[in-house]
Amino acid sequence: MRFRGGHNVLLKGRPDSAIKVMPEPKVLYLPLRSERFTFSDIQVKEGEKVQGGDILAKDPDNHSVPLLAPRAGKVRLEAAEDHIVLEDVAQLEERADMVEEEMQHIEKEMGAAGIKRYKLLTLGAWQFFYDAFTGELPDPLGTPQAIIVSTLSLEPFLARGDVQLSRRLLNFTRGLEQLQSLLEYQPIYLAMPNITSEFANLIRNQIRGYAWVKMLEIPLKYPYDNFAILARRLDLKASNGPIWAVRTDGILAADRALTHTKPCTVRILSVGGTGVTTPTHLKVMPGYPIQSIKDQYEFEPDARVLNGGIFTGNILPEETMGVDVECRGLTVLPEQKEREFLGFIRPGWDRDSYSNSFLSSLRKDFRERLTTALRGEGRPCVACNYCEEVCPAGIMPYLIHKYLYADLIEEAEQARVDLCVECGLCSYVCPSKIDLRTQIVEAKDLIAKEKEEIRQEQLRQEEARKREEERKKAEENVE
Amino acid sequence: MKWLLNVIEKVRPHFEEGGRLKAFHPVFGALEHFFFSPSETTIGPPHIRDPIDLKRYMSMVIISLVPCVLAALYFFGLRFLAMVVVSYAAGLTVEALFAMVRKEGINEGFFVTGILWPLILPPTLPLWMVAVGVAFGVLIGKELFGGTGRNVFNPALVGRCFLALAYPKTMASSWVEPGQAVAGRLLSWVGPSSADAISAATPLALAKQGDMVPTSHMFLGNISGSFGETSALMIILGGGFLLLTRVANWRTVLATLASFFVLTVALIAGGRLTYNMPGVLGPTLWHLCAGGLLFGAFYMATDPVTGPTTNAAKWIYGITIGSVTVLIRNFTGYVEGVTFAILLGNIVAPILDEIVIAIRIRRLRSEG
Repeated sequence: MRFRGGHNVLLKGRPDSAIKVMPEPKVLYLPLRSERFTFSDIQVKEGEKVQGGDILAKDPDNHSVPLLAPRAGKVRLEAAEDHIVLEDVAQLEERADMVEEEMQHIEKEMGAAGIKRYKLLTLGAWQFFYDAFTGELPDPLGTPQAIIVSTLSLEPFLARGDVQLSRRLLNFTRGLEQLQSLLEYQPIYLAMPNITSEFANLIRNQIRGYAWVKMLEIPLKYPYDNFAILARRLDLKASNGPIWAVRTDGILAADRALTHTKPCTVRILSVGGTGVTTPTHLKVMPGYPIQSIKDQYEFEPDARVLNGGIFTGNILPEETMGVDVECRGLTVLPEQKEREFLGFIRPGWDRDSYSNSFLSSLRKDFRERLTTALRGEGRPCVACNYCEEVCPAGIMPYLIHKYLYADLIEEAEQARVDLCVECGLCSYVCPSKIDLRTQIVEAKDLIAKEKEEIRQEQLRQEEARKREEERKKAEENVE
Repeated sequence: MKWLLNVIEKVRPHFEEGGRLKAFHPVFGALEHFFFSPSETTIGPPHIRDPIDLKRYMSMVIISLVPCVLAALYFFGLRFLAMVVVSYAAGLTVEALFAMVRKEGINEGFFVTGILWPLILPPTLPLWMVAVGVAFGVLIGKELFGGTGRNVFNPALVGRCFLALAYPKTMASSWVEPGQAVAGRLLSWVGPSSADAISAATPLALAKQGDMVPTSHMFLGNISGSFGETSALMIILGGGFLLLTRVANWRTVLATLASFFVLTVALIAGGRLTYNMPGVLGPTLWHLCAGGLLFGAFYMATDPVTGPTTNAAKWIYGITIGSVTVLIRNFTGYVEGVTFAILLGNIVAPILDEIVIAIRIRRLRSEG
């Protein structure tokens, strides 16, 4: 497959390339939920004193991925709902090494490769890994058919890979080598914006001979950095085994966990979007109070704060008090305030559109001040084909919309609704303002649920048959 | 414009649930959203939307028709404006009635049909026929199928087809010779009863009798014909703009015109067609500018709703329209074939889509 579709939105408030270190907090609010994880298995008691790197909770459904204490402090379980609160936070006493005995014990059990995977998981580096096709957490003990590493971040706005890389190139290449040691002959693909740049050559020289890395040049168009799109671009098939996908921060975390055996409790996140005064990058730890970030970066009043980017991020609930373990950026978008007078016949010099129906198409690059406005009324589909043109996954959103409208769920499945990468571009460009993404996501979930039910039913039948056979055998024996 | 918003807010309760004028809510909504952008916001990801909406989308078509409208006023006079008014009044009535019955908003699609309709009519057609035709087209061609977005046929062409079959004599004799003076017929009125309304046959009809109007006249548009169809220059100007905005798809236009061109060249070169004009390219270009071909290719065939959706099907759709036009014009009793060709294209469009989609789905099967 070649890259197709895609579209860049010229949203105002792009984070600059600085990384600002936020002041040390007094209290940390660690949310028990993030995009993929629900840390329901709490490992600490109320009032317990923990050190930096201790495991606070685990997610039993996701290979027991841990929630680590980013700092030393005192645990409060009831202080805020769905949060573990750490009071009297102190930076020192970070657990430098994992307990020696524990390590030896595990090494005996798992071997040299096993210990590395164990370290990745328990030191908090594994949560940076994704399965390229499903987006879920991959099995840390599995063997991937390939690893995709991406330094890009094309959705407005998420923490940029280049910003994190600039001063930590050595850690990055060492991280790649560490990953290579987990593999046999499987390749590592490194997705970069420009593979002939000086920077790319620097990486190439540093890793020569240590890791088998293939560089992949990616055009800077949203959402070409999507892992599923990259995997399909590389002609990798889901049936040939899992594909691990990881971003710059994940490689740096792997380096920290495997080279230094230190817990990974730092997150670089972006603060961007129309509604923020000075968009930039922040270095924080999970649980960092969102209110302090808000205070320092003066979000516009009545702005919508998103956990993630403008296309795929969810609204950050009021109740969430701290940065979660998977947060890559906070995007601030003002709510629509004024209704425009005769908006549809204005020339549109400052309006960026996928179609060329506005004067802005004569203009070079500019940044638009966008709000949450729907900018039009809902209408039936007029079959303009914009959604199909813009779709990076090569499916036909309007067709799936029509199937779902007629309740033809099987036809929607035939039309490969499962290939959708949920980038949201179809909803964005639709002149009839149909929320295609939501409809497609709902259909995907429904189909996945039905498939799971069928699988369960089959298992049940299988079991019943076995039981029946055993009963017969027993009867025969009696005879 | 605060006062207008205040007025709207003040009268709103009358049109909402429980108000006296509840039945007219679609009309109120249409007026409100004409003046002010809707207050709705996004609820989930993606949190932003492209500025293009159906109003803008349809406005682009209307803007692109400005050159044709100017040409119509220049060559055929003020009667055009009367026809536009009648067209909008009759069509909007039908549209609003259906919107009120269906309790949906009034769709912007009609604003395009309302201006396209007079542009494809003979200049001295009685005004009541204008009204009947557009009402028929909107009612049968669109509303019965469920309104804009769900119609199979182009409503304007359904109306024209109806008039051509119901009143063939009037439709064939309502032509008028365009103004030949420098000022054209600007600010003059040529009705069915005025002295200028000698029924002047269109170039295509004359050609059947062996009389060819010069191609330069065909290009500029000072010939007899429907209001908006005569000036090839103006159609190309407006249509080109429409293609640049990406509202109309270039594939349809190119496929229609190219297939028409190639087939005509082939037929003339093969000796199956002879015109009272030397050469092969000469008569082909003449034919390209004649009748409603350019107007149909740029404005009628490109209607996204009634044409195919997939890009591959657009090519075949265009080729169908182009070649069927050639066949009707040259091998049947009709002098003009674009209306029928596009309606035929509308019929085959869903099948073409079906085929292309089946192929694409088969290819998608092995993905991921």
